[in-house]
Amino acid sequence: MIRRAVVWGAALAALAFLALPIAAIFARLSFQHLASSVVTDALGVSVKTTFVAQALVLLAGTPTAWVLARHRFRGRSLVVTLVELPIVLPPAVAGIGLLAAYGRMGLLHTSLPFTQAAVVVAVAFVSGPLYVRQAIAAFEGVDETLVAASRTLGAGPVKTFFHVVLPLARSGLAAGEALAFARGLGEFGATIMFAGSLQGVTQTLPLAVYQEFDVNFHTALALGGLLVFVSAALLVTLKWLASSSTSAFRFALSSSS
Amino acid sequence: MHPLLLLAKITVYAAASLTNVFPQIDASATYSFAGSNTLAAQIQLGAPADVFASANTALPQQLWQKGLCTQPVVFTRNTLVLIVPKSNPAGIHSVYDLQKPGVKLDVAAPAVPVGSYTRQILKNMALASVLDSVVSNETDVREVLAKVSLGEADAGFVYSTDARTAPGQVTVLKMPAWAQPKVQYGICVVKSSANVAAAQAFIRTVLSKAGQAKLLAAGFLPRVKPKPAP
Repeated sequence: MIRRAVVWGAALAALAFLALPIAAIFARLSFQHLASSVVTDALGVSVKTTFVAQALVLLAGTPTAWVLARHRFRGRSLVVTLVELPIVLPPAVAGIGLLAAYGRMGLLHTSLPFTQAAVVVAVAFVSGPLYVRQAIAAFEGVDETLVAASRTLGAGPVKTFFHVVLPLARSGLAAGEALAFARGLGEFGATIMFAGSLQGVTQTLPLAVYQEFDVNFHTALALGGLLVFVSAALLVTLKWLASSSTSAFRFALSSSS
Repeated sequence: MHPLLLLAKITVYAAASLTNVFPQIDASATYSFAGSNTLAAQIQLGAPADVFASANTALPQQLWQKGLCTQPVVFTRNTLVLIVPKSNPAGIHSVYDLQKPGVKLDVAAPAVPVGSYTRQILKNMALASVLDSVVSNETDVREVLAKVSLGEADAGFVYSTDARTAPGQVTVLKMPAWAQPKVQYGICVVKSSANVAAAQAFIRTVLSKAGQAKLLAAGFLPRVKPKPAP
């Protein structure tokens, strides 16, 4: 009885601990501050850069994960570790690395810094590995025999990938993309170092929260509320996608049998 | 008070431009260096600071009016300069070259003291239009210094004392004295401090001859503007 009370007490305390900061943002939020140009500009920059960055992550990350999941070659684990490294790197290190590589005085001498493209690069760099890592696991989980069956039944590798592999791996891919999307949306350190912070150009929602924190705390709260809302909507959508993919898979199975 | 309490390690929230000089004045304090505006906001939200040293007088005065710190005193002054990377990629040799198209100008955000001084000096020189060339609003003066000394930005406005900390990396372009804003640094004891005596002692050290000498050696100006000889 006591043990049960302790367990429930700990669970309730943990839930309250997690929920309170989010509740506090909404308790003090006044919606009129959402109309400020800082907020609308930051939302615009965040939406635009996040979608471009995540499109790149999906387009480049999916084949990368497929290659790494399906092929065994010397140094593969080293390559996988390199791909995963940005996940554990502190964002400030990512920022320094991006400057050292793609800065004007960097190895490649690009003129990326201070542009919206630099935000996309920073977001893709820190968030992409989360997707690739999950996608490797998802592809590895696809039953080889189903792939082989598809090929013996005459489907080419491309058709097999889109009609067999992708539906089977979909929920794993969606989960990975959810993590990458969320990490990218919240990206701060690498962005401020590599892309700077300019309203309407490179100032994303998290950068605007930081800037407004000491200028207008209520605007910072409004921005925070907006980020909570966008993140929550994203989470729900992806959970729904992940669950509906299973039923789509079932449907595919039953209709093809 | 127990003598041991006097040895309490105090926490000093200080403007980023004091990053190099304050530890030279007192190596025993714990420092948090950032944009003065960020520090002031943190103190308002209850940050455990004992002393607040700001790159302007407005922020500590606001805290004083809210009863959050003692009446601030001016402890040093500074001047604004324009810096360009040693390689000078945009070929900037005077502040007027900032009007060239495509110049990547890096400044601090308007809420940061140096960002506000930057806008004042440009306004004084009727050059406010060059703010259209701003590529980033940084959170403190050291970020501006970093982006320019890395060569990522073509030019930036910092204090003359910051420029001295990156010798060999940046070229300093002095700004005319008539256009300079009044850059005065204010210091105060935070009211919620549990180490008021030690905090007061720290301020006395900064204002002392030895403290002022360290500031002068770092390129800061005397806290009181010397009167011109009659």
